[in-house]
Amino acid sequence: MNEEHYILFDQYLQNEMTVGERKKFEKQLAEDSEFASAFETFKTVNLQLETKFGYEEEREAFRKNLKRVSDTHFSKERKTKVVSLKAWYYAVAASVAILIGLFFFNYEGNPVFEDFNNPEQAQFTERGEESVTLKQAEIAFNAKKYKEAIPLFEEILKVNKTPEIQYFYGVALLEESQFNKAEAIFNELKSGTPVYKDKALWNLALIKLKQKDYKSCKEILQTISQDYENYDDVQELLNELD
Amino acid sequence: MGQSKIHPDQMYIEGLAANDSAVIQSIYKKFVPKVVSYVMDNSGDKDRAQDVVQEILILLFNQAKANKLELTCPFDAYFFLLCKRKWLNELKKISNKGVTINEDAASINESAHELADQTEEFEEKQQLFDAMFHKLGDKCQELLKLSFTIKSMEEVAEKLNVTYGYVRKKKSLCIGQLTEWIQENKNFKSLKK
Repeated sequence: MNEEHYILFDQYLQNEMTVGERKKFEKQLAEDSEFASAFETFKTVNLQLETKFGYEEEREAFRKNLKRVSDTHFSKERKTKVVSLKAWYYAVAASVAILIGLFFFNYEGNPVFEDFNNPEQAQFTERGEESVTLKQAEIAFNAKKYKEAIPLFEEILKVNKTPEIQYFYGVALLEESQFNKAEAIFNELKSGTPVYKDKALWNLALIKLKQKDYKSCKEILQTISQDYENYDDVQELLNELD
Repeated sequence: MGQSKIHPDQMYIEGLAANDSAVIQSIYKKFVPKVVSYVMDNSGDKDRAQDVVQEILILLFNQAKANKLELTCPFDAYFFLLCKRKWLNELKKISNKGVTINEDAASINESAHELADQTEEFEEKQQLFDAMFHKLGDKCQELLKLSFTIKSMEEVAEKLNVTYGYVRKKKSLCIGQLTEWIQENKNFKSLKK
């Protein structure tokens, strides 16, 4: 193929030919197999270039986010091991505390919300314009300033409604005991993307637990799939409810 | 591949493509520990496992973005197989001793193998393409990079301080050069499909 051909290929792909030129070009494609094969490769190269550069920014964002998740995952794993070494001491301390509790207080057998309340840290990826508010919401949420975070989430959700943001908004509502609103959010998430289904169910159960509605709490827990990443917590809460 | 049934685990692929933190976190929680113990049991350590996992996930992101990834088997089997093969290949590179790749084919389903092959092919093709791209002159590289990032050729011309006509012609010729190399390269051809 010579230079002329490549210029033609590009003009054709960019839709810059007259009807006559187009017809002529397509005729040549049909008749000249070498021409057609070069054109196919030319298209493949275009596609490769689009993938290589068209998603450069997104790929960078993904890389960063991936590294963050990976680092958190692996450092958490290490931390758990350290804790488990000390667990024995805690166990002793805890049993002493419980003994004292049994002696001095009217010991309540039901699990309490606070024991199962471990909201995860929010880590939002930056997304253009609304990123300032998003960052503020992330900081407020992670600092457990839920009252502050709620209006920020509401503002973001008006322009950018993603399951991830809805989820953290729901958790903030739960923390502030705005049960009806939280329930509505998690019910919506429950029937949306499968990724958030079990997470949403777990939070719906926590809403019931916080209101001491143990029966409904248990019923919801029983619908959570065993594949749920934090199924340990589900099992533990179910045991305590029995 | 079109008519094979897409597995519900496709949500992991879509989550990766959308850079969804919750999806990435759940992949780490549910599927990564198995990879870590495999690497550690086979002369590796945690840091190595971490690298292997990241490389594979970036590869999946790229393949998903190119719209070429339709999961027809559980994510678990597919992901584990890819990580395992990647690690065994690393091992091969480090030690001169031959490492036998024991796939225990019976235990993993066939479509996982097929999909993993496709992903590896995608990766090879990408690497080959990258190598060719870097063989281009600096001017071509810069111009193509700008053309496919900015998209408006008028803006590209302005940025490079040349005329629109020149940029258009040069772009066609640079892509033409790559086209020629790829047509000459048998490896790429066999990977083309």
